[in-house]
Amino acid sequence: MTQSSLGTNLFVVWNEVKKNIKFLLAYPIVFVFWGIFPIFWFIPFILQGEALVGGLSSQAFAQIAGTPDFVPFVVIGSVLNSYVLSSLYGMGESIRREAYQGTLDYVLASPCNKAYILIGKAVSESLTSTIFAVSQLAISILFFGIELTVGVIAPILFILILLVLGLYGIALMLAALSLRFKQAHDLAHTLEYVFYLFSPVRYPVESLPFWAQLLGKLLPLTYALIAVRALLLLKQGLSAVYVEILVLLVLDVALILVGFYMFNWMENKTKKSGMISQY
Amino acid sequence: MKKNTNQVRKLGMVSSPTGFTWANVKAELRAIWESNVKQWKIELAYPLSFIRQCISPVFFLLPYLIYGLALMGGGYSPNLQALVGTGDIVTFIFTGYIIMGFISTAVFAMGFSIRNEQWFGTLESIYITPTNRLSIVLGTALHSTVHQGISVIVEFSIIYAIFGLGLKMTGILPALVIFALMMFALYGFGIVISALSLLLKEGYIVSEGLASVMTILSPVAYPLLVLPEVARNASFIFPTAPGLIGIRTFLLQDYRPEVLGNMFLALLVLDAAWILFGSLIFRLADHYVRKRGSLEKY
Repeated sequence: MTQSSLGTNLFVVWNEVKKNIKFLLAYPIVFVFWGIFPIFWFIPFILQGEALVGGLSSQAFAQIAGTPDFVPFVVIGSVLNSYVLSSLYGMGESIRREAYQGTLDYVLASPCNKAYILIGKAVSESLTSTIFAVSQLAISILFFGIELTVGVIAPILFILILLVLGLYGIALMLAALSLRFKQAHDLAHTLEYVFYLFSPVRYPVESLPFWAQLLGKLLPLTYALIAVRALLLLKQGLSAVYVEILVLLVLDVALILVGFYMFNWMENKTKKSGMISQY
Repeated sequence: MKKNTNQVRKLGMVSSPTGFTWANVKAELRAIWESNVKQWKIELAYPLSFIRQCISPVFFLLPYLIYGLALMGGGYSPNLQALVGTGDIVTFIFTGYIIMGFISTAVFAMGFSIRNEQWFGTLESIYITPTNRLSIVLGTALHSTVHQGISVIVEFSIIYAIFGLGLKMTGILPALVIFALMMFALYGFGIVISALSLLLKEGYIVSEGLASVMTILSPVAYPLLVLPEVARNASFIFPTAPGLIGIRTFLLQDYRPEVLGNMFLALLVLDAAWILFGSLIFRLADHYVRKRGSLEKY
């Protein structure tokens, strides 16, 4: 790759990021909504815990989760799960959105590597998801007593980057399917259910039956949640979660490779069949 | 010019079916039915999507149940028993969660019925028909209510098979009466949302916000007693709080209502209030968007 082609590709990425941020800032209320409202989706779980336990800690929960405090457990699960939602519905459907906006033909006909357009979409989605996650976390620190020490911020960011990479591998597969089958919305919903049910978003995976635990261990969110909770709640070091980090790395490589392969394959197939402009 | 004026006069003389007559009521009921049939035709054109939507509530209910079981290490909560007389976590949460789909009926299905017509490009055609616009909204409500009813049957079958449910079968009939009263008030609420979507166009943020607030203020997975007093009082603005308390009173063994009072009466008052308020707001919004000429705007 020459220096000029690298510059051109970075130009594509930068402009894709700019475009997506402009879209988001054009609807400030949407921006505010995603920064605040996901909090309202986990409040019922906190109130449920309080009603069932009669307090904010449960010994039965501690036996499987390692911590009796279910509030920070639920908050962390919810904040990280917002990355799943943004990758599935944001990036996974970004190609479909280009079709709705009438720009898909132009994007695919442009003389640039489409992978960089997707990277641009992924970067802008990651940026906005992180802004929303920081906002939710800040509110949780203020109102739900979540403790965050400066020392764990860098390792958590590292784990988040690994999580996002894996999720975007999955989103690439979804984008590929939406090129060919147009409405990948149902598939995105089904994947959302799988993540929500089989990952330790609200409860530890140990509370699931054995077969469901196995399924949960195929999902990158499971390892990210275990690692972040170990650092944030159990006050463990990065060395205590190296297995989870290694598995996340392996999952990332596999998902991204399969994602890019699927996208290129579907793009060629769709171009040949002349189905790009079909709805 | 004179000819044009005469034409306008003639158009103005076309008799519209206004007024409360039996013929008009029958015509509006027919419009509601046809709107409902149309929604079913659209939905059943995508059978996989329909199946997913019928099963999906189970995927959102299970985390509530598994989380509850993980917190207590079993299906019994002494604290819940102290609060409401029953400690059966699964049955308590199940009887609360069944209304979640019906909140969606009001907020999303009814709320966006007019907006969806705009997306399909049929809004103007509907607006020039001599039908009350509310009939379109109510037709969507009918479809969504039946759809959510199917989802509840699926939920019941799966949860009963996995966990078992301790329900009083003799209480089903009065619980259904309470449910019907709750639904009337929810329809009124849904009409308010559809008026908002006429005004705001992309009103999904407002709808999501209202649905979230309503969920927190409804005793779905916890009794109202765990809410702060202000929130507990505010919860009676929505029909879901008295509705759920009433439904549980008839369906759960040993259940002690966390808020005392006549739930039938509370729901009747809410029915009248929400339906009247909804109809008024809808009428004003409809008049406003037509006067401003913003009906066809996206």
